[in-house]
Amino acid sequence: MTTGTTGTADEKPLFGPESQFRAFFDDPRWALAVIRATVLEAAHPQIGAALADNSTFVAHPWRRLRNTFLSMRRMFDADPAVREREAARLNRLHARMSGTDARGRGYDAMDRATRAWVVATLYESAVTMCRLSGQPLDQDTMERMYAEYRSFLAALDGDAEELPEDLNDFWRYFDRVVEDELENTEAARIILYRLFDHLPAPALLDGAPTLWAVGRAVVGPLLGAITVASLPEPYRRKSGLPEMPGAATLMQGAYLAAGLTRFLPEGWINPQTVIQTLTLPPDSDDPRARTATALRARMKRASALLRLLTPLSTDTGPDPAPADSAATGEGRRPAEEFFRQVLDQTGDGHLDWPDLAAMARELATRLDLDEPEETRLYDAFAAWWRELQTALDTDGDGRVSADEYAAAVPSLAGPALIRVAEVLFDVTDKDGSGTIDADEHRALFRTAFHRDLTTTEGSYGRSAFVGEFLSFMSGRRRNTAYDPLLADA
Amino acid sequence: MPRHVACVMDGNGRWAQRRSLPRTAGHRAAETTVIDIIEAARAAGVEWLSLYAFSTENWNRPGAEVDYLMRLVRRVVRKHAPLLLARGIRCRFLGAADPRIPRELAQDFDALATLTAGNRGMTLTVAFDHGGRRDIVEAARSLIRSGTPADEVTERLFADHLPFPDTPDVDLVIRTSGEQRISNFMLWQVAYAEWVFPDVLWPDFRAPDFLTCLHIYRHRDRRFGGVPPRTNGDPS
Repeated sequence: MTTGTTGTADEKPLFGPESQFRAFFDDPRWALAVIRATVLEAAHPQIGAALADNSTFVAHPWRRLRNTFLSMRRMFDADPAVREREAARLNRLHARMSGTDARGRGYDAMDRATRAWVVATLYESAVTMCRLSGQPLDQDTMERMYAEYRSFLAALDGDAEELPEDLNDFWRYFDRVVEDELENTEAARIILYRLFDHLPAPALLDGAPTLWAVGRAVVGPLLGAITVASLPEPYRRKSGLPEMPGAATLMQGAYLAAGLTRFLPEGWINPQTVIQTLTLPPDSDDPRARTATALRARMKRASALLRLLTPLSTDTGPDPAPADSAATGEGRRPAEEFFRQVLDQTGDGHLDWPDLAAMARELATRLDLDEPEETRLYDAFAAWWRELQTALDTDGDGRVSADEYAAAVPSLAGPALIRVAEVLFDVTDKDGSGTIDADEHRALFRTAFHRDLTTTEGSYGRSAFVGEFLSFMSGRRRNTAYDPLLADA
Repeated sequence: MPRHVACVMDGNGRWAQRRSLPRTAGHRAAETTVIDIIEAARAAGVEWLSLYAFSTENWNRPGAEVDYLMRLVRRVVRKHAPLLLARGIRCRFLGAADPRIPRELAQDFDALATLTAGNRGMTLTVAFDHGGRRDIVEAARSLIRSGTPADEVTERLFADHLPFPDTPDVDLVIRTSGEQRISNFMLWQVAYAEWVFPDVLWPDFRAPDFLTCLHIYRHRDRRFGGVPPRTNGDPS
């Protein structure tokens, strides 16, 4: 639970196209503000624990970003039915997240006070973003926006009792939480120090690792420094975050520069286009895929040039290491890579229930499932998890390490996994026709049918579907439609 | 004007020995010639230029010399990449399959090929770790794997299975240093090539020498196995 929060039907026109809330959607400053808000959320011990356990933002940040963005779009849809449905979906999603943190304290993603804090950080970050970029909001706008955020919380929780009614009380509430409740949580540290330094390349830049690494080496620390400098002083003191000379100026400069883009012609910066282009899989049949492919070819060339221009290290003797790709057979990937890219969705180095839950969540989101299909899918994944745990967890610590997985790869395809494939087929086959037609295929994979042999006369039968899924999950086959679905960053 | 010119860069070792220098000095001196000839060929309107840089047999040379060559080639590739890109030259590497090629060098080959893949000027093929017979064997393997019936195999079809099947036949081969051998170089493609053997060693070979070779080529009478036009009498 982070930025992807909610807001449902409300008779007031707060969610209309003129709302303040919506005005920030296309504002580049909002990106910086959302990072800041996410750190403040992660610093809350309850949210931090939930993030550390459940979130896929370390291993699959781009997919996560896309999902969050689409979710917010739906939350502010003009149609109340769409909003209601999305709120219900988010509530179901968060209801499945609870547990205990490293120190044994319980957390629950449905906790009302915690959810109020999420909305509070978003509101406070929006206000701060305007302040930092030299365009502070006037009192009326602040009040109006506060009312919007409160009704946003009400849409999610039924009422907004957890946030003070009056804006003056809100600032006291906010300062109190920052002073008393926020901690230097692991999740906050990960966002500030690890995420930006290890951010995997989005699909668009996947073919240009050098280019991505160079850009990241420059931008990563900058983003970190900008975010740290924009956090409230009491929190920085408490968490021992460094005060770097010039960081404040840099931070204000970044906000100011981002704010200036509002003078660009309309439509130049459209986050929806940017995000969708970045995360478009290479073989998608989306009309923009052509552009993305051309762009990707350019990136590849730029990356090659950059590679050739980097000065040689002094010792460039012949490397005795032979081509390592020879060891990996056709279309199969090493167990370690499969573990990291597909199984370990939360990126903590272990396979645990939250990893499989994240897979179920991604599938349910793609297919836009309602109850009871969503529960069926989760149940199937839960049964699979029990099967995996029994088969693979040899040291009995309750989770599966990469080594345990590598030692027992063949036993991955048990009856419970077959059951997962069958349930996935059933829920994908929305009209219950017994085959998956082109539209249903597109809902799951975002592409049309591949031109291969698994389809007969424009539909996809149950046994072919189950076979493909199993060969992806256990045979570790590459290049199937599942790669963009579960392995992409 | 020949469409496809190939150069066998011979004589680096002898060039160095005549100056009492180590053989490696000859390889280093070859770099200048390579760049000079690429530029001369492009300016003269040659569309395809192939350079024989390293043969499969060259692995038998002393280890230190091979190591030096690998490092040298890597440096040359990196140094001239921007120039090749700017000149609109499409670069590719023929062969370069041996695991003894250092990984970094292979990556640089790939990078340069990717970088210049979109260029539409001259195509420069660098035969590195190349063997003409090996290419033919590879083509035969690929042909068998594709399950083509024996009766349907034609010269054209066979050529489609060679590496870089878009490469046209070589029109002119220049082999420096006076050596007159084929040395397993692009065997399939040189079937009808004219050969010129200047006495000059490769490090001394320069653009004017290259143009002289083109001139010689233009005065050759290419018959492709046929008869010269306007012969007296009836050949049959």
